[in-house]
Amino acid sequence: MSSMVAPSRRDHALGGALGAVYVAWLLGTARSLGFPRDEGFYFRAAADYARWFRLLAHAPAKAFEPNAIDSMWSYNHEHPALMKSLFGLSWVAFHENLKVFADPSTAFRFPAMVMAGLSVYVTFLFGAQVYSRRAGVVAAVSLALMPHVFFHAHLACFDVPIMAMWTVCLYVYWRAVTPVPGRRTFARIAWPLAAGVVYGLTLETKHNAWVLPAVVLPHAFFVHRRPVLRGVAVGRLPVPLTLISMAVLGPLVFVACWPWMWKDTVPRVQEYLNFHLNHEYYNIEFLHRNYFGPPSPKLYAPLMIAATVPAVTLALFLAGVVSRGLHHVARLRSATPPPDAEGEGGGDRVRSDGEADLLFALAIGAALGPFFLPKTPIFGGTKHWLTAYPFLALFAGWGFERASRALASVVGEVVAKRGLKLPGKITAPALALGLAGTAAVLPPLVVTVHSHPFGLGAYTPLVGGTAGGADLGLYRSFWGYLTQTTAPYLAKLPAHSSVFIHDTAWDAWGRMQDEGRVRSDLRGVGTTGEGDSALVQYELHMLEVEYQEWITSGTRAPAYVLTHDGVPYVSAYEKRR
Amino acid sequence: MGKPWTTWLVAALPLVGLLELSAHGVQLARVVPDGDWVAARDVVKGMVKGDDLVTFAPDWASPLGRKAFGDELITVERAAPPDVTRFPRALEVSIRGQHLEELADWKVLEERAAGRVTIRVLENPRPVHVLSDLVTLFEQGQGTLTRVEGDHEEPCMRGRGPILSGNLGFGAAVPQDRIMCPRGGYAAVTVLPDLEYRPRRCIYVPPLGGAAMLRITFTGVHFGGVLHGHHGLYTEAERAKDGQPVTLNLRTAGASGDVPVGRFVHKDGDGWRGFEVPTPTLAGKTGELVAEITSPNSNKRLYCFEADTR
Repeated sequence: MSSMVAPSRRDHALGGALGAVYVAWLLGTARSLGFPRDEGFYFRAAADYARWFRLLAHAPAKAFEPNAIDSMWSYNHEHPALMKSLFGLSWVAFHENLKVFADPSTAFRFPAMVMAGLSVYVTFLFGAQVYSRRAGVVAAVSLALMPHVFFHAHLACFDVPIMAMWTVCLYVYWRAVTPVPGRRTFARIAWPLAAGVVYGLTLETKHNAWVLPAVVLPHAFFVHRRPVLRGVAVGRLPVPLTLISMAVLGPLVFVACWPWMWKDTVPRVQEYLNFHLNHEYYNIEFLHRNYFGPPSPKLYAPLMIAATVPAVTLALFLAGVVSRGLHHVARLRSATPPPDAEGEGGGDRVRSDGEADLLFALAIGAALGPFFLPKTPIFGGTKHWLTAYPFLALFAGWGFERASRALASVVGEVVAKRGLKLPGKITAPALALGLAGTAAVLPPLVVTVHSHPFGLGAYTPLVGGTAGGADLGLYRSFWGYLTQTTAPYLAKLPAHSSVFIHDTAWDAWGRMQDEGRVRSDLRGVGTTGEGDSALVQYELHMLEVEYQEWITSGTRAPAYVLTHDGVPYVSAYEKRR
Repeated sequence: MGKPWTTWLVAALPLVGLLELSAHGVQLARVVPDGDWVAARDVVKGMVKGDDLVTFAPDWASPLGRKAFGDELITVERAAPPDVTRFPRALEVSIRGQHLEELADWKVLEERAAGRVTIRVLENPRPVHVLSDLVTLFEQGQGTLTRVEGDHEEPCMRGRGPILSGNLGFGAAVPQDRIMCPRGGYAAVTVLPDLEYRPRRCIYVPPLGGAAMLRITFTGVHFGGVLHGHHGLYTEAERAKDGQPVTLNLRTAGASGDVPVGRFVHKDGDGWRGFEVPTPTLAGKTGELVAEITSPNSNKRLYCFEADTR
């Protein structure tokens, strides 16, 4: 069995700083990102739930009455309550009461941004404890600098929060099953109990959490294989406390945190499960084809990952996986296990016989596995497997560790052989680390900054960037969130014009107007023929709306085209009749 | 002793980042500026003939091209053609070295550049002479609509109504100019999103279902050796493959006599399906052509067809 060294205060400070910087960056860019359809729904749900919390504060007895619960928790009950509750509480606290955020939307979004910061922090801790501090830094930064993660990290939605909670849950689980030399009895019980509570909160974040047993069960068996096999031999199955805690406390916390589940619990849980097990298929383009039902293409996840995660991160990930794999093969073949750090000065802080690597691999496999099944809908683009990315980034962190060491060795040799003198106090390893660090971080940073606010459909240079993605027939956008980005065009329309807002949800449109993101005198309309002007947001299956516009506006020539890198994202038509 | 090649390989990994950054820079530098589209329009204006196809490659660049070129150059016939066979020449306006697959075997007559936009003039290797286009005839008033149920024939009225349109899932918009039947049923020229979401200019005539039939009679049709056409349904109406087939029965009438021309059945999933029938006995004649549209059930039968004589 492995053992570990607990993270130091310095680790927590460094990880916390990385997370805080990320949250600050997200806050700084939040106003330039419009509201996707789903955010509009969650804003509304959050406001409803916040009403209940107010009632709870002022009249607790009334708050627990079934009618009060049903009236305030019914809306959007197809998704659990944790994040929407936090969105609502944040709105009350930071916008209504404390006035920290001028925009209500920023207050709604803030908890999800904090979750993004949390995922950066925990990814760092994981990397620092399993591999090395610099592997942890690169893992955390690589996660933050994935354009699609950056996009979703802004939103009052559940995709980045579940990524964070999935990672936190596995971290706590790992702390629970991995002994720390000299750990006190309290900690031996507290970590397993924490794993149960955190699993419940993860279930309460999004349904991806149902898949977590596919990670922890095989992993726990591997970790406890010797006692389990010994027990089976004598006719009993010893179950680790951590698993018992997750199995018992998880569902309890899930129900406890979701008032809508308090009445008619079984049928409501059943309804919730059925909604997701039989989820409608929405349209999504992949390789010039519109998918709207099963079977889903098996190439979808691999190609979308290759097209959206920066190439250097992918290269480091592959190097990390190969390196860890070779290390474990060598370890299994050798009577004398090789040092985990694989020589060369530092490295693993965990005395591992592969348990952490296995956990990371299982976490990636479980997050991505469903997307190789023919019946899994693919309409969410990359957002539905964001849970794989912290672990992809962790292997990339280790890949970076290996690459920077190899580069240091090469630079050292070149410097020595040629008798070169490095300026100042710069050493060969420091120079190598600087070069490798810049190469690992700068390109993802540049690509991510450039992607904003088009990040939902941003494609990396590996596939030719935005235009390359369009050439390949990969989706450009969904959720109608780019309406705000057309504000410069909308600003020029005559006063009180009517605008067909196409895929933008009414809640999202209303909030954009309330917050002065688009002109408040414009009148949104819901059908193509109604508006003086009409927006068409490009998705393959939305082209029918554009053809309707040709008839209703009497022109094939858009008055305005919103582009990113020369690729159309939204067109606006004006009536010529 | 030198280092093993694996060390060099791993040490070189950060180069991937530098290559990525360079590729990003190159990709940004290659973005086509708006001015190039305007310059391309001026080039095309000087070259285009009335019966040329003007089209854009790749497809996703079409809104940029249409915005710069305007309706005068991008007529609905060019923006939503049934296929490319009717055009003697095509002016393909392309970026990023992309070309349209359906023009792959056309001969390149000329190629010009307007900044990063390329204009190619292509010649149809199998040119045809279109004698009558039923969609144009219908638009010009040379088409009448009748609702037929058993022996009862009800003439429908050409007129103007409000445009019918919606949002996603509505289907093709129904324009103001259309023929409407008092007890239901209509026909109008629209742009249909076909199964692959390509725009098709065609006569939209959703069948009534059951024994009822919608009959369009085209007058002044100049017949040739061939009748060439297509039919299809609005993509969401046929993609689930759960609807009843739609039958298009074509025959002559009037002075040419009642001569069957062809009967074409469109089944869900067929998409924008082409048909062609030889009409040698009609060649050189001018007369009436009747199109009868039926389906056992009217549910989601958002049907559209087009045809020409050549």
